Amino acid sequence: MADDTTSPRRSKGSGSGLPPRLVRWLEGYRPLPGVPDELFGPDGQAREHWLAFLSELAGYGDNDADGRFGMAARHIRDSGASYRIYGEDGERSWPLDALPLILPQAEWDQIAAGVAQRAQLMEAVLEDVYGPGRLVADGALPAPVVTGSPDFLRVMRGVTPPCGRHLQLYAADLGRGPDGRWWVLEDRAQAPSGAGYALENRLVVSRAYPNLYNGLNVHRLAPFFDSLRRGLAATADRAEPRICLLTPGPFSQTYFEQAHLARYLGFLLVEGDDLVARDGKVWVRTIAGLKRADVILRRVDADFLDPLELNAASRLGVPGLLEVIRAGGVTVLNMPGSGVLESRALMAFLPRLCERLLGEPLKLPNIATWWCGQAAEQAHVEARFDELAIAPAFNSLGEPLCGPRLVADLVPDARAELRARLADRPGDFVGQEVAHLSTMPVLRDGRLEAAPFVLRVFAAWTPEGLKIMPGGFCRTADHPDARAVSMGEGARTADVWVIDDKPVERLTLIASDDDVKVRRILGHLPSRAADNLFWLGRYIERAEATLRLVRALCSSLMDSESSLHGRGETFEALHALLVDWGALAAHTRTGRALDCARHSLHDEAASGSVIHLVRAAKRTASGMRERLSADFWGLLVDLEGDLAGSAEDIHSEAQALEQAENALRHIAGLSGLTQENMNRVAGWRFLDMGRRIERGIDTCQLARALAHDGATIDDLDLLLDLNDSQITYRARYIVGLARTPVRDLVMLDPFNTRSVAFQVAALKEHLSVLPTLREDGIPEAPARILLPLAAELETEDAAGLGADKALSYERALMRLSNAIADRFFLQGASAVPTVKLVGLA
Amino acid sequence: MRYRLRHRTTYSYDSEVGFARCVLRLTPRSSPGQTVLDSDIDVSPPPSAILDRVGPFGARVLTVTVDTPHRALVIEARAHIDVHTPAAGDPAVSPAWETIRAAVLESRDLTADGPAAYLFPTPRTPIVPDITAYARVSLTPGRPIVAAVAELNRRIHAEFRYDPSATEVSTPVAQAFAARHGVCQDFAQIMICGLRGLGLPAAYVSGYLRTVPPPGQPRLEGADATHAWVSVWCGEALGWVGFDPTNAILAGDDHLVLAVGRDYADVAPIDGVILASGGQSLKVEVDVTPEDAAA
Repeated sequence: MADDTTSPRRSKGSGSGLPPRLVRWLEGYRPLPGVPDELFGPDGQAREHWLAFLSELAGYGDNDADGRFGMAARHIRDSGASYRIYGEDGERSWPLDALPLILPQAEWDQIAAGVAQRAQLMEAVLEDVYGPGRLVADGALPAPVVTGSPDFLRVMRGVTPPCGRHLQLYAADLGRGPDGRWWVLEDRAQAPSGAGYALENRLVVSRAYPNLYNGLNVHRLAPFFDSLRRGLAATADRAEPRICLLTPGPFSQTYFEQAHLARYLGFLLVEGDDLVARDGKVWVRTIAGLKRADVILRRVDADFLDPLELNAASRLGVPGLLEVIRAGGVTVLNMPGSGVLESRALMAFLPRLCERLLGEPLKLPNIATWWCGQAAEQAHVEARFDELAIAPAFNSLGEPLCGPRLVADLVPDARAELRARLADRPGDFVGQEVAHLSTMPVLRDGRLEAAPFVLRVFAAWTPEGLKIMPGGFCRTADHPDARAVSMGEGARTADVWVIDDKPVERLTLIASDDDVKVRRILGHLPSRAADNLFWLGRYIERAEATLRLVRALCSSLMDSESSLHGRGETFEALHALLVDWGALAAHTRTGRALDCARHSLHDEAASGSVIHLVRAAKRTASGMRERLSADFWGLLVDLEGDLAGSAEDIHSEAQALEQAENALRHIAGLSGLTQENMNRVAGWRFLDMGRRIERGIDTCQLARALAHDGATIDDLDLLLDLNDSQITYRARYIVGLARTPVRDLVMLDPFNTRSVAFQVAALKEHLSVLPTLREDGIPEAPARILLPLAAELETEDAAGLGADKALSYERALMRLSNAIADRFFLQGASAVPTVKLVGLA
Repeated sequence: MRYRLRHRTTYSYDSEVGFARCVLRLTPRSSPGQTVLDSDIDVSPPPSAILDRVGPFGARVLTVTVDTPHRALVIEARAHIDVHTPAAGDPAVSPAWETIRAAVLESRDLTADGPAAYLFPTPRTPIVPDITAYARVSLTPGRPIVAAVAELNRRIHAEFRYDPSATEVSTPVAQAFAARHGVCQDFAQIMICGLRGLGLPAAYVSGYLRTVPPPGQPRLEGADATHAWVSVWCGEALGWVGFDPTNAILAGDDHLVLAVGRDYADVAPIDGVILASGGQSLKVEVDVTPEDAAA
């Protein structure tokens, strides 16, 4: 810059000790013209709290700073933090900015007071609209402003919320306007998202800059979530309530967040199918039968909550739920119908409603809004048609509110159409002042840039009254109007630091011993989770067994020793097994081992290929992420990564072998985690039962193919390889391979961890400690299959153990798998809507 | 006119059903145009629980739970109704339709009888620009509302083909409109979409229509059917006026109202959930029998 001393973007004391990197950042920073900025005040001076942060950060040096944040960002991938875009199969990784939004305490106090007031106002409006309806009857609120919202649930009128209030969590989207004040842009009252992402963002950013984080007196988020949890618990009518987070399921845009919140707060993550409404209460289907759900924090939109009374096509809800709410048998928050508050039309009335209901003016202004359903307002909007933004007054069902459109930006046809619709149905539109929101600094490609942002602030009702999360969920955009940008359109997120001028409480609040009752088992495992864990176990085990086949295939060709005894037969046997197991299409050229190996690893069309099994495992795991540790998920991601690329990328047996070996190592890691790091409660048992049953079945199948009465030495040798029992065998028998001892070791030996007998014994132990639904002491169906099988294996003689016996064990294990599913999982008869057809004339 | 009404619904299941929960919107409601003398609902097998309440649109709603295993579920509703539709005034003296559009936006009535409840699009009755344009032909500037809607009512009857095989209960309104065919439900929905497209409140009415057997033939049991038409809010003075686009007439003493809502979903006679794994089929029988005034 030519003349440093007159540059408007100068900071106090620059040139005197500021790191050169910061000087470069500040000099290159270009706030948007006519728009306030967070870093630089109206006086052209950089604000102290930003300078304090940025100079520390700049002091790290380029590589260090990038490295720190890169490491933290990798955590995002490993923990599976993600979101989903409608219409896309995959999830996208979470886009987090390296810089947090920094707000000093004094500024924050104003925001917090404004959001708290607005939250109270929102609750008061709901009480009236779903209660006496005075606001409408008195003309303070025209009836169409209420009925226009698809989230106005007429069926909830006159229903007193079981816990006495409609809201648990409310959020406001804020932006700083040109006058420097904070404005409310939107209200989120149905089931606000973002609090869980805020937690995740905090985790990543505080890890990246621990010294900065600890040195700057940043307010912690944990106490807010603790209060939120206690607020929900206090709505129940018993001391240790079962609190559920009701999710639309893994295909929801924000499923990761829901799972993350459930895990963090210790809530049960449930889908509609997990719940059943009966006898005036809501129950969770668990492996120990139906258990009462006291409180439901919902993330399912109201319309989908109850197919009996609301959207009959919904498969996400609980039939009869509204009936239970009316009877006061369950607390559902936010109450169905609270989404009526999200209409833009309502914003136009809030200043007056606040005066009337709370007796004071709004502390945070709305963005100026005119509802065109009123003649004067319609005329105003039509007169200023070209300077205003026009937005739908209400959200439409199933779609998020589409953003305000600047009329000046529209093509002539669209303008004409909008004018015509405004004339036909004026009540469907609002006009809004076009807001130029303030910008904040973000780091893009090593440069400091100004990006518009929207700040979402959360309020929760707690036993100590309303609390505001000291922080929030911030979205930044490249687009000048941040309101119009959703996550799908390239927006990024940022952590939000509220900086106190005095030291903040460092530690998460520790509850006193008197408040916490020691317990060792956390409730009952929901049937769906048991189902998922069981199948996760089966998929992982099958993938492992298939990888062993591939490994044997590759190494048998390279191992000169085994080629001594005619490698052709071994190859044939492996090929036949891979085809039998569905890993390989039968027509794959049998002549080429390389083809067999790479297709068994990579053929997505084959239901038994390794990639197919690993993906199935990952999909199953993604449906219960709140139950799996981040390490477990990370290993699954790595396992899928081992198999990245296509079959054609593999050019040699050695390469295929390396892939198989790597994948096996990651599976071994998963097994280790399962055994050493997972609590030995019911969840672990179902995961392990899945593995044991699959291993038992696989071993029977291998024994049938390789230890039948006509099996060769090569066959037996291969079986020991696949069963991981070579060393044991050689240590025990010096004479060489013989059929009966191999059969004994692989099938019956209770000390061999890979024998069928060992799996059955483990299954027996699992079943013996799982809950029973019978009160008469008679064994349930799974035990009736398992106990005779265990007895038979304990007493069987290996000499006579031919293929037919192996087949009968295999079938018993399959029957056992079905019996476990029948007894413990959600399945069989499922809830379906009755057919609809009226004799219409 | 006094009627005896019977509405019998039979669900047949391929395999045994152990649990069913149904919401029944099968009880007609008294209104200025009709008096319900008595009504009754029988469910077989007998429900283990029955919950009785007033539904969101003012009609009585039963929620029944059946947990006896069954292969067939029979729900029969019976009622005696006296229909006495007020005489229609001179359509030419009703208020200009634009004043209705303005009035509803100022409405202070949040109840199910108020016009604001029926102003906005729903999943089954969205705003379809082509249908709005079709309605606009009849709703010329300044025209009295009843006269304008009556003409729309006649046009739908004249320009659409009645064809019970052409549409189903789930056929989207835009599709029926484009093909210019359908049954009472389609015609009612088209009319509702057209009127709401112009900012007018219109409700979906389900009920029954008295049918007259061909000359010389006896009435056939169960041969009648449920019917659907439209109720339009014509201002504070006139209130709600019924139009039947299937027959190009105003709703009168042959129309028995069962329920009123924003669209079919609000008035569906039965919404049910069963625990079942097999297929299911449904049969509906309706009898509307005029009773001799002397009887």
